Amino acid sequence: MRTSSADLPSPSTATAPPVTVPGEAGGAEIRGLVVVFGTPDGEMAAVNGVDLDLPLGTITGLVGESGSGKSTLALAMMNAVPKPGRIAAGSIRLPSVKDMTQLRGKALRLARGSALGYVFQASQNSLNPLKRIGAQLLDLGRAHGMEDKGVLLARARELCERMGLDPVRTLSAYQHELSGGMRQRVGIVFALILNPRVLVLDEPTTALDMISQRTVLDIVRDVHRDRHLATLIITHDIAIVADLADYLAVMYGGRVVEKGPTRHVLQSAAHPYTRGLIAAIPRISGDIEKARPLVGRPPDLLSIPRQGCVFRERCPLTIGRCSLEEPALVPVVKEPGGIFGESGDGAPGGHAAACHVTAPAGGDRSRS
Amino acid sequence: MIEGRGLTKTFAGRGGLLGSAPVAALRKVDFVLPSGGAVSFIGESGCGKTTLGRILCGMEEADSGQLLFDGVDLTKLPRGKRLARLRRVQMVHQDPYSALNPTRTVRQVLEDPLRLRARQLGRGNDWVKNRAVELLGLVGLDPRYCLPQYPHTLSGGMRQRLVIARALSVDPEVLVADEAIAMIDVSLRLGILALLRQLRAELGVSVLFITHDVAAARYVGADGQLYVLYRGQVVEHGPVDAVIASPAHPYTQCLLSAIPVLRGLEEPGAEQLMPLAGLDVGHEPPGCLFADRCPQAEEDCTLSRPDLRDTGDRGHRHACLHPRLRQVVAQAHAGAT
Repeated sequence: MRTSSADLPSPSTATAPPVTVPGEAGGAEIRGLVVVFGTPDGEMAAVNGVDLDLPLGTITGLVGESGSGKSTLALAMMNAVPKPGRIAAGSIRLPSVKDMTQLRGKALRLARGSALGYVFQASQNSLNPLKRIGAQLLDLGRAHGMEDKGVLLARARELCERMGLDPVRTLSAYQHELSGGMRQRVGIVFALILNPRVLVLDEPTTALDMISQRTVLDIVRDVHRDRHLATLIITHDIAIVADLADYLAVMYGGRVVEKGPTRHVLQSAAHPYTRGLIAAIPRISGDIEKARPLVGRPPDLLSIPRQGCVFRERCPLTIGRCSLEEPALVPVVKEPGGIFGESGDGAPGGHAAACHVTAPAGGDRSRS
Repeated sequence: MIEGRGLTKTFAGRGGLLGSAPVAALRKVDFVLPSGGAVSFIGESGCGKTTLGRILCGMEEADSGQLLFDGVDLTKLPRGKRLARLRRVQMVHQDPYSALNPTRTVRQVLEDPLRLRARQLGRGNDWVKNRAVELLGLVGLDPRYCLPQYPHTLSGGMRQRLVIARALSVDPEVLVADEAIAMIDVSLRLGILALLRQLRAELGVSVLFITHDVAAARYVGADGQLYVLYRGQVVEHGPVDAVIASPAHPYTQCLLSAIPVLRGLEEPGAEQLMPLAGLDVGHEPPGCLFADRCPQAEEDCTLSRPDLRDTGDRGHRHACLHPRLRQVVAQAHAGAT
């Protein structure tokens, strides 16, 4: 496994300097990622210059609305962007793969699953309804050259037990015989059976009730710790990752507009979009009237502004500069007596935001 | 006012070699939905919430029990009269992506039911066109932009608003919102919830809100009642904030403990509970339905099934042999917004 930092691809110079997060090296590193989709109006960027680090041992929550590019980013990590989309620039380094974006054919197929485990949004749609779960697991092993069925089954049983599933019953079941929460856990078994170090979960709890959701999230936390993974959870519900993730990255219109340690981001969100997302969650205690809807609609590929800040049309704080110049992702300046640990140019632990008003490059941060 | 009394529904088990046991979807459920009021039902998937909503809309019939609309028992009315009354109840489905026909424009989606309504009211085509514009305005959609659109060009939140506008086209008195926000982006959910609130205030529509998002129930029906359904039985009910702040039944406590905590803004509840196992509706225990999953179960819990009893607080009732108040929901930090 590659852990030396000498192999790091150099960060893209087209975007703001990357703000790294602390933790062990050797996880996943996304640099300057651009994913474009061909449309009648030309190629449009669904992911536009994203830098993201997923260190081993940390859970990162990637939050955004539909159309923010979060799922495209996750598919790009598998180099599986569907046509008419393609990865136009950037690199994705995984613990055992130098650059996922460069792989093709068999090498790519082998890397998927063994370098990076992926849990799909609706596991019931990713499982074959005509085959028992165990048979599908064996297929997966065979496709990756694991001829020893015994080892594979032993691993599957162990993983099932870890997930609180009855191994015999689960492996001999068809997908329709399992509940939504169980299917989602089976999805995690599939993602981990080849022992990847990076785990990506796309909306792992959509359509699950509260208790199943909690169970699945607790399991994710436990296997993450046991296996010392680099975990990325993609969701539109900031509350789901607020409890679980060490770091948050908020995406809007294909860009990461804010990122940092979960607690910092939640307590002192700098970007108006992040603030709006947090304010829009009805809370279980306290004054319910404090909840405020976020106005406007999320942008789609065609309506993402080509110039200036992507959020400006829904932003309550917009100023003239916002329509002219795209704000860079810069460290949020430490407030006197504030809770921020470190700050500065890309310092570890960095809380960074891209906003001309609340996080101006090299200036003071005003709060509203 | 709508009142359910002793509503019971059992689905027969499937036959065949691996025949399954019958499933009790509702067990003697009593509830009251006042005019213009809001009532929320919470519980896990498979606990009978949706069945209740379907019975209220007339899509399903209860095996026994009474459904009273302004004191008239619907189950005793002839079919024609029953359906006429049930038309006053409209459903807002969970999935706004499959609730709309992809080949019909917004104008068609709204004008079809409106034409029926116009015939009933003796109005003409102009009324239909004006009313469609009016309804879109009411749900916060721009009529000029939306009317010629097909559903796929609208966002999830806009589609759900359209589904609500369509439900309003027949001037209902009750909206049954079955997980109406579950498929919608969190950023847009509050907008839909605020719309339901606004419809209650402006049109006097009452809302039966079926959800597993307890905080959403709190937002839509803060002044209403919260019912906790477990395997078809109401195990706790009372004023929304009373049930959330001081839940008595361990099942309610488990549900409330599972709500994600906004770390940094909230502190998790001190006495959180988690159920011991997953939901299994297959077997029918003689005692408390929740006993096999209950972390607090005692020996007698498996012997007799408790009925609803008063907690001592006004209108707050529970069905537990050994209730103990626990503080399980997260508390907001002082000063945090």
